[in-house]
Amino acid sequence: MRTTRVRRAMVAAATAAGLVVTAACGSDSDSSSDSGSDGGVTTLTFAASTFGDPGRGPKLQEWLDEFNASQDEIIVEAASVPYPTFGQTVLTQMGGGEGPDLVRFDMPEFEAASDAGLIAPLDDLVDVEQYDLLEEPDRFMVHDDVRHGVIFEASNYAMFYNADLIPEPPTTYDDFFATAQSLTAGDVFGLAFRQTEAEEAGVWQDIFNYVYGFGGAWSDGENLTINAPENLEGLQAYKDLYDANVIPRGADAATFRRMFAEGKVAMELNNGGYATHLRAESPNLNFSVAPIPFPVRSQGAILAPIVINEASEAKEEAATFIQWALEAENQAALQEILGASSVATATERSPESLQDMPFLTVFDELTETSLPQVVLGFEAQTPDIRKIVVQNVIAALQGDVDLETALDTAQEQATDLVG
Amino acid sequence: MSRLRIGVTLRVVGVLVVMGIAVFPLYWMFVTALSSNADLFAADARLLPDFSELGVFADALADGEALTWLRNSLVIALGTTVLSIGLGIPLGYALSRFSFRGKMLTAVVLLLTQMLPEALMVVPLFALFNRFDLLDSLTGLVLANSAFVLPIVALILKGAIDGIPRELEEAGRVDGARPLTMLLRINVPLIGPSIAAAAVIAFFHAWNEYVFAVTFIYAPETQPASVGIANFIGEVGTPVQTVMAVAFMFTLPAVAFYLFAQKYVVAGMTAGAVKG
Repeated sequence: MRTTRVRRAMVAAATAAGLVVTAACGSDSDSSSDSGSDGGVTTLTFAASTFGDPGRGPKLQEWLDEFNASQDEIIVEAASVPYPTFGQTVLTQMGGGEGPDLVRFDMPEFEAASDAGLIAPLDDLVDVEQYDLLEEPDRFMVHDDVRHGVIFEASNYAMFYNADLIPEPPTTYDDFFATAQSLTAGDVFGLAFRQTEAEEAGVWQDIFNYVYGFGGAWSDGENLTINAPENLEGLQAYKDLYDANVIPRGADAATFRRMFAEGKVAMELNNGGYATHLRAESPNLNFSVAPIPFPVRSQGAILAPIVINEASEAKEEAATFIQWALEAENQAALQEILGASSVATATERSPESLQDMPFLTVFDELTETSLPQVVLGFEAQTPDIRKIVVQNVIAALQGDVDLETALDTAQEQATDLVG
Repeated sequence: MSRLRIGVTLRVVGVLVVMGIAVFPLYWMFVTALSSNADLFAADARLLPDFSELGVFADALADGEALTWLRNSLVIALGTTVLSIGLGIPLGYALSRFSFRGKMLTAVVLLLTQMLPEALMVVPLFALFNRFDLLDSLTGLVLANSAFVLPIVALILKGAIDGIPRELEEAGRVDGARPLTMLLRINVPLIGPSIAAAAVIAFFHAWNEYVFAVTFIYAPETQPASVGIANFIGEVGTPVQTVMAVAFMFTLPAVAFYLFAQKYVVAGMTAGAVKG
């Protein structure tokens, strides 16, 4: 009797589930992120991790809507790819001959994709001569005289500080350290940065400022210089702050940025994109921005190119969108959305923006001394070198090995990798 | 009497501690979802939910996206469960009851597949799914998840069938039953608890799966909740309360399925005692 009941229940459950699966198969999305043409309208997908930002995402969507409304032959839709696995996901899709038509990459993934032939050359698709492109960031868009991308966003790193807690920003590393120490008490921390392997790309972005800010470099253009004395000095400064317990250890970027917005973190090094986000999410927060107070005025920059997927079946249409994006008024609109970041061309900041964020000029003045966070000369191998460096630096942070040995190990492993 | 009472009390306390450990993460998600920004990073953690913040759940559901993700997750998880159990039963039966060349090798290979991380399979599976036009479809994800979970389901069911006396089948054979009849009429009812346990494993695997889903699915309306929740994590900001609200809702159907399946696991475990 019991067996019969069990069997009946199982059959009923299996039947119900089977019906759901059948319905699911019927309800499978027939839309594809691949370009598709329907009634003369070509639909393109555009993947950008910024679409997920609570502050900037909705405004970027409105910007796309403006393009869609400007003509009736092309529709650009935002592709939904989560930020934590954005590069890995999109590169896998592109490697398989699929993926979004347009992609906003970060530099390491851009370099890897262009090296692998996954990005369509733009020379025959977009005539960049007719636009006033910013030279410094744009030079990284061209490889061996072939243009693979156009800058979508260029964002320099600077020091964000809570102006209620810090009336005068520190101007030297010693001041920076002392300020962080003096403000750390109870549930308030003087500083925050990324320090876990789960945020490998973020740790790389953070330590880049310490290495270059202390006069170091990951390479001399021909050879790796991971264990150079200047790098050791910069990373020792990073480790000293970690050891001094002035940061919320273990907190990820999402957490400590919320803490900054709540006045629980006094300082952090971040790029210009963060300014707009803070203004939108925490309008009452009294924060300001100053150059990073390290010995050498050299810091990282987020360079984010927009590219066309080599596998796209609608490259011409994708290029039409890029051309629209490069038009002066659309660049100005994009600049307003991105806030403290720059765009591909030189644009005037509006008086309203400057009144709202007077520190915008700080970011603009850093453009000449900012570098993309790639290993110069080894751009395509940057993601692999990044993994090696971050793993070894974090091992040193956690006390598994001393920092000098960690950098020697990283140098050896990365040299083996690049050959 | 008092010794008995102490024993009962200790047992109750033990159960409560274990329940607390199991339920606390769920509770903490709920409390975090209902915390204001100020409470979220206060020195003293708030232990009780602030019901004045209940609107976060309504906000999370407002545009209907979260419900679509949950529906997709449910379809993928149920589909994977049905398919892997449907294929796992005959596979487990064959490995248990039939002698054929390469039987041991098959079992070992099944075991080895469990040692391959999903990330290793993404690229070859992507190419395969692209070829068969299975990308961006729930059917594709059901197949991918089933392929990954089928070996463990088959091995669980093989173990269960191994435990059934062969005499029962021999009696059936005397009555003229064919192998399929014996499988469905004799073995399947007796391995109900193992099927339920395997179903729980298959369901949870598919429910939580992220790597295949994020790579094989492009369209927002086809994304499961595991990917949808990750979409909240932005480059410069993450709405913690919204993430926790959706994550809390994400756990509830899985808990419900477990409670449903657990009934059959327990029923099977106690069946022998009743029959004596």
